[in-house]
Amino acid sequence: MLFRVDPTSTVPLGDQIAASVRRAVAEGAVAPGERLPAARALAESLGVNVHTVLRGYQRLREEGLIELRRGRGAAITAGASPQRARLLERVREAVADARDLGMTEDELLTLVRNELDA
Amino acid sequence: MTSKNLGRVTLAALPFVLALLIDLTLYAAIADRLPDRLAVHFDAGGSANGYTSFTAYLLYTLPSLLVLGALWVFIAVKGRLHGRTYRWLIGGGFAVAAFLGYLLIAVLFVNVDAPEGGSADGLPLWHIAVALGAAALAGALGLLLSRLAPAPEDPRGLDPATRERIMLADGEVAAWGRGIGAWWAPVAVLVLLAAGVTVGWEQSWFIRVPLILLALVTGTFCRPHVTVDRRGLTVTGLLPRPRVRVPLERMEVADSRPVNALAEYGGWGYRIRPERSGVITRSGEAIVVSLTSGREFAVTVGDSATGAALLNTLLDRQRAGR
Repeated sequence: MLFRVDPTSTVPLGDQIAASVRRAVAEGAVAPGERLPAARALAESLGVNVHTVLRGYQRLREEGLIELRRGRGAAITAGASPQRARLLERVREAVADARDLGMTEDELLTLVRNELDA
Repeated sequence: MTSKNLGRVTLAALPFVLALLIDLTLYAAIADRLPDRLAVHFDAGGSANGYTSFTAYLLYTLPSLLVLGALWVFIAVKGRLHGRTYRWLIGGGFAVAAFLGYLLIAVLFVNVDAPEGGSADGLPLWHIAVALGAAALAGALGLLLSRLAPAPEDPRGLDPATRERIMLADGEVAAWGRGIGAWWAPVAVLVLLAAGVTVGWEQSWFIRVPLILLALVTGTFCRPHVTVDRRGLTVTGLLPRPRVRVPLERMEVADSRPVNALAEYGGWGYRIRPERSGVITRSGEAIVVSLTSGREFAVTVGDSATGAALLNTLLDRQRAGR
């Protein structure tokens, strides 16, 4: 799995790490069950703080792409399909677009709910 | 099969086939004069302490020449050996075939005209010296013969410009990592541990301690992980140490190609061979790094193309002094 972070970018480093994993899942480069590097090792590789990596991993866990088990590290979940990763990417884009348009949270959620009910 | 391969097969198989033919001819010549019970095992003083029948002896020894010959042919064709290493392989084949061929027949000769059911005089130790001499002579002959045909050229193009890259923005930091599944590693650990406990119990702590230590070290490498980053190529186990790391400074160029564990590395595990070393868990795709020393370092790992491309990208950066 390829991790890339650009310290000059405005995107937080933790989000960039999460995006690397999401992209790898979306491209099918990693399969469910595959382990992510230990946070400390990845932090040393990329030259970032270990808490930054953990923030990225935490984010992926909330998205259901990885599971974090005490003492066993992080691994891609069974349900993490390329489609799911691509859907997550599109949700992120939709939220970013809505923010750019100045929409409120409720307005965006209403749009999504209308689409679900349709 | 190409004519080049045919030449290599012939040269690699030749000493073993010759040894087999010579031994068979001599067996046939003396078969009538051999007792039913052959002395085939000798203690350090050369006295016989193990016996077997003539048929069992042939069934046991002849295939050993065939199997070794097949292994040598396999390595000569699939081993990607070139230049001097290839010549030494051929010479080594001649030496091994001569040593084994001589001893296999010498054992029969000491049994000639031995009393029925009785013991042979034993194997005088000078036979070993003669076998070693024969091996040295045959090895030299093999080295000479290997010069008749040009040895395979080094197929590697070391020009880094021909390799794939990963596009990175200025200042962007990248790392690549992947686990290597080695199903046999836990089995090896269990076998070593069992051997350490049982053998150590019967023999002494002198044997037990190294075996158990080896099991523990292998144990930490049960689930190895390969990392490519700004520091180079690293293989770690469950713990940060022990680890195998090749720093970028020692690399020339990286490639992704299939490797053959047995032919190129003579087996599985952490392998050190003439001109190459590596962490080899299986045959198949691997990151193969050409080192500035002229040697190669390989790690068998999936998606090796990405890992190799990142290494070449990082090497570019290093050359550019960033």
